[in-house]
Amino acid sequence: MAFALLEAKAGETMLLLGNEAIVRGALEGGVDVVTCYPGTPSSEVPDAFFRMRGDGAYYFEYSVNEKVALEVAGGAALGGLSALTTMKHVGVNVAADPLMTLCQVTVPGGLVLLSADDPGCHSSQNEQDNRYYARLAGMPCLEPATAQEAKDMAAFALELSRKTAHPIMLRTTTRVNHLRGPVLLGEIPAARERRQSEKNPRQFVPLPASARQHHPATLIRLETIRGAAENSPFNSISGRGRLGVVASGISRAYLSDVLLESPELAEAVSIFELGFSYPLPEKALLEFVRGRDTIVVLEELEPILENDLRVLIQKNGLKTIVVGKGESLPRHGEYSTQVVRAALRQTLSLPPASVRHAAPLSDLPQRPPNMCAGCPHRASFLAVRQVFGDEAFYSSDIGCYTLGILPPFKAADFTLCMGSSVSAGSGFALASGKPVVAFIGDSTFFHSGITGLVNAVFNGHNLLVVILDNHTTGMTGHQPNPGVDATIHGENAARVDIATLVRACGVTQVKKVNPVNNKAAVAAIRELAAGTGVRVLIAEEPCPIHARRVKKSAKAVTAHVSGDPGGCGEVMETVACPAFYLDGGKFAINESQCTGCMLCAQICREIKAKSKEAGK
Amino acid sequence: MNPNTVRMRIFLTGVGGQGTLTATTLLAKAALDAGFTVTAGEIHGMAQRGGVVESAVLLGGYLSPKIGFGEADLLLGFEPLETLRALPYLAPGGVVVSNTQAVPPLRVSLGQDMYPKQEVIEAKARECSARAVFVACQDLGIRAGSAQSANMVLLGAAAGTGALPFGLAALEKAVNAYLKPALAGINLAALRLGAEASA
Repeated sequence: MAFALLEAKAGETMLLLGNEAIVRGALEGGVDVVTCYPGTPSSEVPDAFFRMRGDGAYYFEYSVNEKVALEVAGGAALGGLSALTTMKHVGVNVAADPLMTLCQVTVPGGLVLLSADDPGCHSSQNEQDNRYYARLAGMPCLEPATAQEAKDMAAFALELSRKTAHPIMLRTTTRVNHLRGPVLLGEIPAARERRQSEKNPRQFVPLPASARQHHPATLIRLETIRGAAENSPFNSISGRGRLGVVASGISRAYLSDVLLESPELAEAVSIFELGFSYPLPEKALLEFVRGRDTIVVLEELEPILENDLRVLIQKNGLKTIVVGKGESLPRHGEYSTQVVRAALRQTLSLPPASVRHAAPLSDLPQRPPNMCAGCPHRASFLAVRQVFGDEAFYSSDIGCYTLGILPPFKAADFTLCMGSSVSAGSGFALASGKPVVAFIGDSTFFHSGITGLVNAVFNGHNLLVVILDNHTTGMTGHQPNPGVDATIHGENAARVDIATLVRACGVTQVKKVNPVNNKAAVAAIRELAAGTGVRVLIAEEPCPIHARRVKKSAKAVTAHVSGDPGGCGEVMETVACPAFYLDGGKFAINESQCTGCMLCAQICREIKAKSKEAGK
Repeated sequence: MNPNTVRMRIFLTGVGGQGTLTATTLLAKAALDAGFTVTAGEIHGMAQRGGVVESAVLLGGYLSPKIGFGEADLLLGFEPLETLRALPYLAPGGVVVSNTQAVPPLRVSLGQDMYPKQEVIEAKARECSARAVFVACQDLGIRAGSAQSANMVLLGAAAGTGALPFGLAALEKAVNAYLKPALAGINLAALRLGAEASA
């Protein structure tokens, strides 16, 4: 199969998603190894590498978690290959341990970490600014604002990392990952001669004696790289106005559009755009700041550049005022053209711009995200509620099933992070003295649920863990995990069996059930509910979207109301499938949405299966 | 129109599964091929099937991948309730092109919430726009050969109003170049039916 991202020639212009541009950039930068754990907004990067696997000259893997992904990539880079690791911002928390040391021991083959941050929490449990990680680890940081820059910076980061043997962070935000823009392509190089792997334990084994040497050596490398930032084409100065503006990341795009529409503001400012933002190009910035009364700093989330500039100004005895985080430039959420315009106008003592628009209507029906029709998680939540009701506390995790929080299931009382359902559930059970049921998906279980389970067995915790095994990683776009039976590339020959793994962790009370069989699921949960200690229910049924896409399989039946619609009130309330609707006040099932799971027919005698063919 | 002088923000909104992101990308590619500089933006992730999907296409040198209140010159609504919800994004003097055919939210389907009346949606759209055009996109899509081509009907309708800086031909070219060849006939028919309905 031909893939445009691989085949398109240098000199062509393609309209690319920010994440596709990063893929092309990595290919142009000569990437040999790509590892990841998927997570929005980073997922399209590894997904493209996965689709093209076999056509491109690189190794690719979905690793089981971000720490493992960075260690595999780090090991490959220690051994001489050029590696890229991709993850969302919270993934870097998981990978932080190897990250700190990789930046000190050096990576001869070159290593780039894509950290996809999510200001505004479009699909994340928190807002955090991973530019702090760049500083904490001593890691140079590049921040694209356009698709072209995403491509160019990915390629440059790999080259710079190879040249300096120092890991580099490519830091994006959701808007950059998911924008589309024209990208002028460069050349994908022919395969390079592979660098020989070498033994160098004094450098690569950070015993205290060598680690003590690593830190000053790292600081020296960072100063060398600062020189590259001083002269980088990713940092630029424009404008002739008196007010200085220093901008980074996607704020640069908002600033550009504000100035495009306001000649008044455009004449009033000079701009320092920071694309290569760490180590800070101090000389160039100092030159820009000197002689100015005021500098406005535009950066989403934390006041990092702002504080760096304040230090620079204080050290050099300047009097320049820095306008940064405050009322008009918040420390949370995303910036926009409105935010940038308001901050500039306020600093310039101009009256606020008036923008006319219709008032938002707050009383319109909402469309909250919901579990799909036929989702097996709905069946699991229903069965658990049939046994425990509101008596248990529900420890949830990260995945589609976090949506179990919605009524009628209300099956999420607390959630921290990937894998926390088991361990935080253990702790909560100690405190509450009530039954605790932990819900965790198959991919999340492999990610970091296993360690919590071993801990729970060893320390004698008391909880029921329900592993929602839908054979895929649903929320992030159906990526494979070690437990899947098949992927778009065929059978998974190295399948890791969850039940065997759970027993090997020391759990003796283990049951496996298809949750869509309501009677069997309720019976299994009842039995486990009666026990104490660590109990595991594996609720196994493939995600219907995954089954349709990968296995090309679909059920041959749909549900329909064969009896009295008036008798369907309870199933409507308790199962709450999105295929249900009221047709002129009467309960009905939308057959085009129904996947034929037939859960509802087990709850309500008025509903029966009918064959899709017969229905036509 | 001259790609060097036109600047335009297009806000697209609909419901997951309606093909709004396919339409967004097609519109962006058509514009790029017609000589415009393009930035487009979308949000993936929690917008599962049935959730609201908002996206943006910006022409003529804008770099921001999103649109704020009062900024959109053209609002393309693939679903009438979502058109209504997105009206604050419209700039004074902007144009609305919207589907008339509803995808009811779950709470509406279950009788727990009320869907706004079509007359109210149309009146509110007229109040804040220079022009508001409503087209029955699924019906025309079915006439073109598939209800799934309703997204192309809406793009065709946008071209038909003259609100796009390029004509139907640019969209037709993009359908031929970038969408599945097997569906080209249906999608081209859908574009044309949309354009006729709004002209």
